Amino acid sequence: MGFIPLDVLNKREDLPAVGIDLGTTNSLVAVWEGGRPEILRPEGGDGHVPSVVYFPERGAPLVGKEARERAVFDPRRAIFSVKRFMGRGIADVLHDLGTVPFPARESEHGVIQFDVDGRLWTPQEISALILSRVGEVAALASGGKALARAVITVPAYFDDAQRQATRDAARLAGIDVLRIVNEPTAASLAYGLDTKRQGNVAVFDLGGGTFDVSILSIEDGVFRVLSTHGDTHLGGDDFDRALARVASLELAVRLDSETLEDAAFQQALRLAAERCKIQLSFDREAEMHLQLPESGVQWRRRFTREEFEGVSAELVERTIDSCRRALADSKLAREAIDEVVLVGGATRTPSVRRRVEEFFGRPPHAELNPDEVVALGAAVQAHVLSGGTRDVLLMDVTPLSLGLETVGGAVAKIIQRNSTIPCLATEGFTTYVDNQTGIDFNVVQGERELAKDCRSLGRFKLSGIPPMPAGLPRVAVRFHIDANGILTVTAKEQSTGASAHIEVQPEHGLTDEEVDQMLASAYEHAQEDFDARRLAELRTEIDIMARATEKGLKSARAELDRETVLDIDEAMARARAAGSANDVAALQRSRDELERATLPLAAVLMDSVAKAALSGKTLGEV
Amino acid sequence: MADYCPRCGAKLETPLGCNACGVLFSPESAPTPFEALGMEPVYRVDPAELKRRLLRLSRMLHPDYFGSGGEEERRLAERNSAELNRAFAILADDWRRADWLVGWLGGPDEARERAMPQAFLAEVLEWNEALEAARSGAPGGEERRALDSLDGELGAQRETAFGELASLLDPLPSRGDAALVKARRRLNALRYLDRTLSEIEALRLEEATSRP
Repeated sequence: MGFIPLDVLNKREDLPAVGIDLGTTNSLVAVWEGGRPEILRPEGGDGHVPSVVYFPERGAPLVGKEARERAVFDPRRAIFSVKRFMGRGIADVLHDLGTVPFPARESEHGVIQFDVDGRLWTPQEISALILSRVGEVAALASGGKALARAVITVPAYFDDAQRQATRDAARLAGIDVLRIVNEPTAASLAYGLDTKRQGNVAVFDLGGGTFDVSILSIEDGVFRVLSTHGDTHLGGDDFDRALARVASLELAVRLDSETLEDAAFQQALRLAAERCKIQLSFDREAEMHLQLPESGVQWRRRFTREEFEGVSAELVERTIDSCRRALADSKLAREAIDEVVLVGGATRTPSVRRRVEEFFGRPPHAELNPDEVVALGAAVQAHVLSGGTRDVLLMDVTPLSLGLETVGGAVAKIIQRNSTIPCLATEGFTTYVDNQTGIDFNVVQGERELAKDCRSLGRFKLSGIPPMPAGLPRVAVRFHIDANGILTVTAKEQSTGASAHIEVQPEHGLTDEEVDQMLASAYEHAQEDFDARRLAELRTEIDIMARATEKGLKSARAELDRETVLDIDEAMARARAAGSANDVAALQRSRDELERATLPLAAVLMDSVAKAALSGKTLGEV
Repeated sequence: MADYCPRCGAKLETPLGCNACGVLFSPESAPTPFEALGMEPVYRVDPAELKRRLLRLSRMLHPDYFGSGGEEERRLAERNSAELNRAFAILADDWRRADWLVGWLGGPDEARERAMPQAFLAEVLEWNEALEAARSGAPGGEERRALDSLDGELGAQRETAFGELASLLDPLPSRGDAALVKARRRLNALRYLDRTLSEIEALRLEEATSRP
C-alpha cells in the first residue's frame, strides 16, 4: 500500500540535447546515442506523436495517439494540423479554418485564438501541448529523463513570424531551444552522415502540410545550402483534400449544405480520404468509406490510382515549380545535381516520386524512413550544438528576401533571399524635417515588388534621435538574421553616437509579456492538473485500503482490542468523508491516518498468514 | 589588423578570430571583405580558393560551435560569422567585388557616371521591346524564340564587359586613377545587362510554371 511520491520537478536527470521534428501531422524526438542519432521510442511504441489535440468537455486536453483516436469518433472537439496557423493571421488561413471545429478570433496583435468552451488557445499554446507530450514520450523512452534542451525543426520556407511562433511554443513547453533548424537541411545531415556524401544534393521534402526543396553542396562535412524554395501551405493534407472534394461533390446530392459544411463532417471526410490515399500508394484501387451515424449515411466509393493522380496533378506540379526556382537560384544546372533525397510521408505517393525522378533525371533516394529522417538530423545538430563534434557544419540560408517599405509602397531589399545565415546588413537613414526625433518603418519579407504584397514582419519605430536639422542625423540600422533564421534590428545615431531605440511590434506574434502570462497560467493549470491526478490516485488508494480493512476486520476483529477497532472505524469514516471533498492535503492526511490506524490489524493479519503458512494451509483458507 | 593572436601568439588569418586557438575577437571597426577572408585585395580571385577559405573560417566562427559557450561568445560568433558571410557574398560575385574595389580606391560610387552613350541606350530600348513582345506573345511563339538569341547575345556582351573590367582593375589602379571612372561606367552599364538577363530568366521560369 506504499506510495512513491512523484517528485517530477526536482530529481529528474536531464536527457542530452535532443532533436524534435514538430510536424503538421506527426511529431517525433531523437537523440544522439552511441555514435549515431536514434528515435526515442517507449517500449512497444513507435514514438510518433500525432500532432492532434483533443479537448474533452471536462479535464485536461489529450494529445497524440489518444487524441487522434478520440477525434475519429468525436471530431467536434479536436484540432489537427495546428502548424498551419503558426505565426499567421486569420486572413492568411481562411481556407484552413474550416477544418477546426472551434470558433477562431484574432488577438490585438493578430494572433489566432481558438475559443474552446470560453478558454482561448493560440496555435503556440496548442503546439506547446504537443511538445510537452513529445517530452513525456522522451521521458518514457529514456527511463524518466527530462527533455530540457532541444533543436526544433521548421520548414525551410517558414518566415520570421512562423519561426518565432515555433520558438515561443517551445518556451511555453519549458524547452530551451538550442537552434531552429530547417527540415530539409536536417534531413540532409541524417543522410550525409551514413554515406559521407560529397557533391550536390537536392532534398525534396513534402510533409503533412508544408513543402520545401533545398539544394545543398556537401564537402568535407560542411553542408552548405545554396538555395531553398517551398510552400508553407502545400502538403499531404492537400492531397487528402483533393480526394475529399470529389467525395463532397458527389455527396452534395444526398446531404444538405449544413451537414456538408459542418466541421465534424469535414474532419470525418478528411480522415476517410487520408486512409484512401494511403491505400492508393500500395494498390491500384481503393475504397473510400464514410459512415455518418447521425444522418444515417453510409457511403462507399471506389477510386483508382489514375483518378487520384488526376485530381492531385496540380499539387505535384506546384512542387516541381519550386524545384525549378530553387535550381535557378542555386546557379547549378539540373545535371549538376548528384543525388536527390526524399523526405516527408507524402513522398510515398507514387506520382510524386515519379515526377521528381523525371524532373531531376535520376531515381531519388528513400533508404531512410521519410517520416523519421528530419528528427534524426535534428539530433545530429543537437549533438553538434552541445559541443559533441566539430566534424559537421550546417550552413543554411534565409529563404526570403528582407526589405523595407519605401515612400510610395515599394520595397527596398536589404538582404537577398538565399543569403547564408547568420547574415547582416546595415542601412543608413536620416530625417526629413528639422528636429525630427523618430522614424517609422515597415520591415517586410518576400519577393514581390510592392510592400503590400509581401509579409510585414512588423512595424519598427526608431526613436531617440537627437534633435538636429533635417538630413543631418545619420542613423545606422543593423539587420541581423541569426543562425535560427530570426531577425533582430538595432540602431545607432552615428553623428552623436547616441543609440536610437527600436521598438518592435510583431505581426501575428506573441509579445514577451504574453508568453510570460501564458507560462504563469500554464503553471496554474499544471498545478490543477497535478492536483486532479493526485486526488484520483488518493481516492483509489483509500478505496483499496478501506476494502482490505473491511475484509480484514471480518476475520480478525476478535483478535484486536476494542480501542484499536474504534480507532480503525473512526479513521475509515474520516477517510470516506474526505474522499468526497477536493482537498489533496486533507485526503492525504486521512489516508496516512487510515494507514496508521490499521497497522495493528495488518500485524494480526500477517501473523495469521504466517501461521497458516506454517500449518500448510493456503492463504485463501485463512 | 593585429597580425598575431594576443592569446596564443599564432599568426592570424582574419581579424575575426584565431584559427589556432579558437578565440573570437571583437574588432573595433568591421574588417574589409578581403581582410575578413584573409586575402590581399585583388580583382581576380580564384572561386575555389575563396570557397575553401569560407569553409575553413566558418569551421572556426560558426555559432553552432558555441552552443554551450557563454552569451558574449555566442553573440560574437553570430556577428563574426555574419561578417564572414557578408565578405564572401561580396567577393564571390564579380560585380560586387569590382564595385567594392572601386569604392575602396576612392572611385566614383554607383550614383555617378550614369550617363550612357546614345548607341548603348538605343540598344537597351531594343532589349526592352523584345522583352515586352515576348511577354505579350504566345508561349513557344516567335517572340519567345527571339528572346533566346537575345539571351545568348547579352551573355557574350556581359563576358566582354567583365573582361574590360578585369583589364582596368588588374593590377589594381592607384587611388584616384582615371581607370576607376572607366570601371564605374562599365559597372553601371552591366546593371542594364544584368537586369535584362534576370528578366529573361524570370520570364522563362514563369513560362515553365504556367499551366493551362
